[in-house]
Amino acid sequence: MASPFAKTFRLAEPGLCRRCAALPAGRTFASTSTQNPKREIRSRPTTSAITARIRTQPNTVRQSIAQHGQPFSSSSQRAYKTVEEAKARSRVGPFSWQAGLFFLLAGAGLTVYFRYEKARMARARIAEANKGIGKPLVGGPFHLTDHNGSEFTEQNLKGKYSLVYFGFTHCPDICPEELDKMAGMIDRVKEKNGGNVMKPVFISCDPARDTPEVIRRYLAEFHPEILGMTGSWQEVKDVCKAYRVYFSTPPDVQPGQDYLVDHSIYFYLMDPEGDFVEAIGRNFTVEAAAKVINDHIADWKGKIDRS
Amino acid sequence: MGWFGSSDSTGSQPSPTAPEASKDGGYIAPDRTARAQCWEGRDAFFHCLQQNGIIDSVKEDAKAREACAPELKEFETHCASSWVTYFKKRRVMEHQRDLTLKKLSAEGATPMDTSSAGGAGAAALRGR
Repeated sequence: MASPFAKTFRLAEPGLCRRCAALPAGRTFASTSTQNPKREIRSRPTTSAITARIRTQPNTVRQSIAQHGQPFSSSSQRAYKTVEEAKARSRVGPFSWQAGLFFLLAGAGLTVYFRYEKARMARARIAEANKGIGKPLVGGPFHLTDHNGSEFTEQNLKGKYSLVYFGFTHCPDICPEELDKMAGMIDRVKEKNGGNVMKPVFISCDPARDTPEVIRRYLAEFHPEILGMTGSWQEVKDVCKAYRVYFSTPPDVQPGQDYLVDHSIYFYLMDPEGDFVEAIGRNFTVEAAAKVINDHIADWKGKIDRS
Repeated sequence: MGWFGSSDSTGSQPSPTAPEASKDGGYIAPDRTARAQCWEGRDAFFHCLQQNGIIDSVKEDAKAREACAPELKEFETHCASSWVTYFKKRRVMEHQRDLTLKKLSAEGATPMDTSSAGGAGAAALRGR
């Protein structure tokens, strides 16, 4: 996205300068041409001199001149009908509406380009800052069981972006709301990128009640792609520690006991190498969160598994 | 403490929505329909509390049970007791939050835009 912008910018600038330089020449020549059409022939070498100079420019620039070349030929053909018109033309100097328009367009283009670059740099900074040196700040090795009963470790997260959410199925209101939002994010990311570039993961903080079957049934109501995880109390404790998630499930609960689990409510976006990218809080709307994810995916230069 | 013998909300009494055990030893969570029913019960009860000017239905349990008996019964039938306590406490917290916000805006504080920026406190500040 950045390169096309930069290209237009690079192409546009010489065009602008050439035109400014060319305009006075065109004017003198045009204003005289009304008086004596024969002089037109004399003035021709000037134009060809410009074209000759243009030919020495690198390829891309020459193409741009060819596109913007219209003013050269049109100005050489232009003839002012009256002296007043010629005078008016000479009063405003090299400024014409085309030049003004071009100036505005170039200005607008640059503004858009720099804003885009600024946002991209900010994102890159967040992603880079969160990578840390050596051991990642968030994330790391863990061992859990997914809702189909298979083993799941941090290695299974690699290859795609992953969106990790911690919660529990007996959650009164926040987790269901957040999981509905997660479903919205999954659909939007899919829509934008085509293919499965992101793996959504739900990790239970309540292993005593949340067995694979319970999680499978629970998540099916939200989105078929969310993969639920659970494990022993110690395994869950370890993964929560790795992701800096606070949770309050007691290690030994009575069967059928009714209790709530306090836990941190963030979505953790991890890159295809398994490194933490950004935490998305509850204050994000589905659209805003999907945009953050899509932007990070667009910035990713490495390989990404789309299967 | 309440009007009904089994009104203790610590979870010791058999809850009307006793968790169903799953085949692999877990406990099945309320599904979308059950949650919606619970939330409806909650909203009806809170509406009644509002009309009776009760803020803290945990501290003013007796008063709330007297004024909103049918609503509370409905609420407790559809929600697990931990949820009932949670919603009651949350209502008090939200009330206090609203008061604080009102006080702050009266003092001329400008609200922060938390719709897209990060921030730990933002989640708690957002109204429902």
